[in-house]
Amino acid sequence: MALKSDMKILVIDDMATMRKIIKNMLQQIGFKNITEADDGATAWPMIQEALDSPEPYEFIVSDWNMPQMSGLDLLKKVRETEALKKLPFLMITAEAEQGNVVIAVKAGVSNFIVKPFSAAVLKEKIEKIF
Amino acid sequence: MSNQSNFLTFSKPFIDAAKNVFETMVFTKLDPQKPEIKKDSISKGDISAVLGLNGEIEVDGVAKPYKAMLVISWPYDTYFKVASAMLMDTFTEYNDEIADVGGEICNMIMGNAKRDLATQGYTSNMAIPSMIEGAKHKISYPAGTTVILIPIKSAHGEMYIELCYSQAD
Repeated sequence: MALKSDMKILVIDDMATMRKIIKNMLQQIGFKNITEADDGATAWPMIQEALDSPEPYEFIVSDWNMPQMSGLDLLKKVRETEALKKLPFLMITAEAEQGNVVIAVKAGVSNFIVKPFSAAVLKEKIEKIF
Repeated sequence: MSNQSNFLTFSKPFIDAAKNVFETMVFTKLDPQKPEIKKDSISKGDISAVLGLNGEIEVDGVAKPYKAMLVISWPYDTYFKVASAMLMDTFTEYNDEIADVGGEICNMIMGNAKRDLATQGYTSNMAIPSMIEGAKHKISYPAGTTVILIPIKSAHGEMYIELCYSQAD
């Protein structure tokens, strides 16, 4: 499937720096429709509200470690929702341990990326999802 | 003393991780200089990111607790250049927009180093990074730890990595 440049993407990270980096990289790859959230807890109502709108989110890029709701807990909520079972979900983490990958895969993550990463690596991961 | 003997194996993953993080996200190569033992608690740079780590290391079948801390300290000019490169923007003063750049760098370095430390038998729990700003600020190292200072040269200017480590006897 060819990537749509107007695909509606939600970038979730508690660190403003990381949100800006991910947004810059997604723009470099060619995406234009990017929204941000600063925690899983802020993102979850946004995802639910968008689901009832004409423009639901089509791709979630989320950090793992966040203070209120982790990326893993958000992923579980997303996968428990019938309409979101197949929503592409890319998890980003600073902790490069193998155990994390297994946990995320079991929870239904679409792909997994370990910090630090380049725009080229992000593009490669996205292409594997779509 | 176990502190000194383990320092070399303990510090290498951090240096390797720092090189990787700066090459990938800041688009610059780091040139680490000769490490030295730091004797005071005054920062070398104007902005420091501080992140604690603790866990256990197995020595001769016995799990021994250790505590460690990673500090990265930047002179203002280096910090602004690093933040500008990382965020693809231009920053010439310290503000909210770049306040967590150092913490995020510290996080990524610690996260990567953790994986390598695990292969050496260290279990580890990461804390949340904190930032300190201001010329010659004081850094509170955990009591009883040895602090190693590694000056780093880069195209964005100099910076300092500090690692402290102590292991129960």
